[in-house]
Amino acid sequence: MTELSEARRFEGMRRGLDALLNSMGRPVTFMEVCGTHTVSIFRSGLRSLLPEELRLLSGPGCPVCVTDQSEIDMALTLAEKDCIVLSYGDMLKVPGSSGSLLDLKSRGARVEVITSAIQSLEVARSRPDSQVVFLGVGFETTAPATAVTLKRALLHDLSNLSVLCLHKTIPPILRTLSSNPALSIDGFILPGNVTVVSGLEDYVFLTDELRKAAAVAGFEPEEILAALVDLSRQTETGRFRLSAYRMREVPRAGNPAARKILSEVFEPCDARWRGLGLIPASGYRIGKSYARFDALERFGLAPAPAREDGCRCGDVLSGLLTPPECELYGTACTPLTPVGPCMVSGEGTCGAWHRYHR
Amino acid sequence: MKISMKITTGHGSGGRLTQQLTRRILDCFETDSRNRAFRNVSQQSVSQRGAFQMEDCAFIGDDTAVSIDGFTVFPHDFPGGDIGKLAVCGSANDLAVRGVRPLFLTLALIIEEGLDLADLDRYMESAARTAYEGEIQLVAGDTKVVPHGAADKLFVTTCAMGKRESPHVLQTSNLKDGDILILSTSPGRHGAALAAARFGLDAPGLLSDCALLWPALSPLLNFSELRCMRDCTRGGLGTVLCEWAEASSLGIEIVEADIPSNREVDSVCDILGLDRLYLASEGCALAAVAPEQAEECAAALRQSPACKDAAIIGRVAAVHPGMVGMKTRIGGQRFVDMPTGEILPRIC
Repeated sequence: MTELSEARRFEGMRRGLDALLNSMGRPVTFMEVCGTHTVSIFRSGLRSLLPEELRLLSGPGCPVCVTDQSEIDMALTLAEKDCIVLSYGDMLKVPGSSGSLLDLKSRGARVEVITSAIQSLEVARSRPDSQVVFLGVGFETTAPATAVTLKRALLHDLSNLSVLCLHKTIPPILRTLSSNPALSIDGFILPGNVTVVSGLEDYVFLTDELRKAAAVAGFEPEEILAALVDLSRQTETGRFRLSAYRMREVPRAGNPAARKILSEVFEPCDARWRGLGLIPASGYRIGKSYARFDALERFGLAPAPAREDGCRCGDVLSGLLTPPECELYGTACTPLTPVGPCMVSGEGTCGAWHRYHR
Repeated sequence: MKISMKITTGHGSGGRLTQQLTRRILDCFETDSRNRAFRNVSQQSVSQRGAFQMEDCAFIGDDTAVSIDGFTVFPHDFPGGDIGKLAVCGSANDLAVRGVRPLFLTLALIIEEGLDLADLDRYMESAARTAYEGEIQLVAGDTKVVPHGAADKLFVTTCAMGKRESPHVLQTSNLKDGDILILSTSPGRHGAALAAARFGLDAPGLLSDCALLWPALSPLLNFSELRCMRDCTRGGLGTVLCEWAEASSLGIEIVEADIPSNREVDSVCDILGLDRLYLASEGCALAAVAPEQAEECAAALRQSPACKDAAIIGRVAAVHPGMVGMKTRIGGQRFVDMPTGEILPRIC
C-alpha cells in the first residue's frame, strides 16, 4: 500500500470512530493493557486525534510498574550481598525503599544490563567465583526466556546462577480490574506480543463471561486505531467477540512450545502487584525441579512489607486515576525524582504523560 | 526519592542530569569571587556568550575558537569507526558547527595497563588518518598510564582549535521566531550502531555516522541569515531541540515525517525500545536559518555527499515557549521532552 492510501485509510478509520461514538450518545472507557501501547498512543500522537467521548485508561501491563517495592528491595539486597545482578535495562531506575539498582551500581555494586535472560548463562559461566542472579521480570513475553535459561542452568549444572522470579501473568489482573465497579471499563486493547505466546483462549473470558469488548492489537498506531473502532462497535452492538488487529497473525493456541516450557519450569502462584495488592494465581514461581536455582531459597529472601510513600501507582495502574490527578505528579514525582515506577519506566503511564502530554 | 548523591551513569547521558552536573561545576567557579570578576572581564572582551557558559566550544578573542571533548566509548571499535576517529571528529565538529575551520588538535591519552600496543597503534592511526583528511594538525599531546582497572583500556581527550570563517558569530541566542530548522542527515546512526554492538544485535548495514562536519557544513556560512548550528551528539536531535527551545525561550515545532530516516536505525529502535530522537549522532548537524534563505540553504547542504539527505524538519515558533512540539507521522501532536537520564532498553 502506498503512503498516501495508508494515510487515507487511517483518516477513514478516524472519521468512522468519531461517527460511531457520536451515534452512541455516551462516553466509552477502554483500557490499553500494555505499557508499549501506552507509549505508542502518546508517541505517535494518536491520543491527540481521539474523540473526547473516548476515555482511554492505561492499564497494568508495564512489567516495571507492577513490580512491587518489596520485590525491588529483594533485588537491592542481592546487589548489596555482592552478587552479580543481571537485569533488563528499565528496572535499574526503579526506587525501592532505599534507592535503586542504578544507585547501588554507582556505589560499586555489580549490576549489569542484559537484553535476554539467556545471556545470564554466559555471565555465570565466565565468572564461576561469583554468585550471578538474574531478575526474572515481565509477563508471558519474557517468562519463556527465563524458563529456557533455568532449563539450561540445570542441564549444565551452573551452580552459581540463580533467578529471582518476579514474573506475572496478564489474565488474572484483567479479571480483577473488570470486576471493579469504580472503573466501569467497556473494553480492553490486549497486547499482541503477549497473546502470541499465550494464545487467545486465555482472554475469551473477557468477552464471553464478563461481556466486555476486547481486541488484540499490534503496536503501530494504525493497528491500535483499528482495535479502538472494533471495541466501539462491540460496545455499541453488545456483540462481544475477541478480535485481533495485528500485522502478523495471532495463533489461537499461542506458541505451544513456549506454553509447554512455562508449565514445565514454573508453577502459578499468588503475586504481589505494586499498589494493587496480592492477586491470586497471577504470578509464576520456580517449580520444584528447579528449586535450587531459585534465588529466594538460595539467599533466604522473603518480601518485606513496603513503606508508604504516598505514591498512587496502584490507582494509576488500575485506571482509577489519570497521572495528573495524583498529588505527587509533576511536583514531588518527576522523571528526575521519580517516586513510583510509573514515572520511572520508559513504558510507565506517568512517565508517558509527563514526556509527551503536559 | 532524592537525587543520588553519587555520580550515576545517568549524569553522562547528555540529558537533564548532565545539565545539572555542568551547572554544579560552573557554580564552583562562580562562587569564587575572583573567578566571577574574571568572567565579567572576559565576557566584555569577547562580547558574546563567553567561555563561562561551559559549552564544549568557546571563542577566545573574536575569531579564534577552542573546543574540548573526552571520549570513553564502549566498544572501542564499532561499525563505522573507533575511538581514535571519534576523538578527532568530536572536537573538530564542535568547532565546525560554530562556523569555525578546525586547524589544530591537542590530544591526551589515559591508557590502562595491559592495553595491546597493536590496538593503541590502530586507534592512533585512525585518529591520524581522520586529522589528515580534515587538514587538522596535531600540535601537542600527553600520555598517562593507569593501573589495571583504573580505566577502560583507553580514554581519549582532544582539544581542537580553529579560526572562525562565518561572517558573524553563530550562537543559539540568534534564534528568531519563524526560523527554519534543517537537519543534515538521518539522526541516531552512531547511537544505534553502538547499542546494537553493546547488546549483541546483528544489524548488517548499520554504520555509525562518525565523520568530520567540516568542510561539509562550510557552504552554509555563505548565508547571511544562518543563525546557529549544533551537532546532535550525546542526547541526540531531541536534546538539541529542547536545549534550543529552552535557551531561546521560543518554541520549536517539528514534523516527524520530514526527519530523514534510516531503516537500520528504526529496526534497532523497534527491538530495543529506543527513540531515534535521543540516539547520538557523530556526523549529523542541525542548522537554523531565516525562512527566506531556508530552501537555498538546504540545497547547498545537499551538495555534500554526507548531507545528501538534508531536509527541513521544522521551525522556531513562539507557540509554546521553551518547548518542542511535533506533528507526528499520523498527523497527531505531541511534545518532545528532554531525556532525564541514561536511556536503557525496555523489557519486552
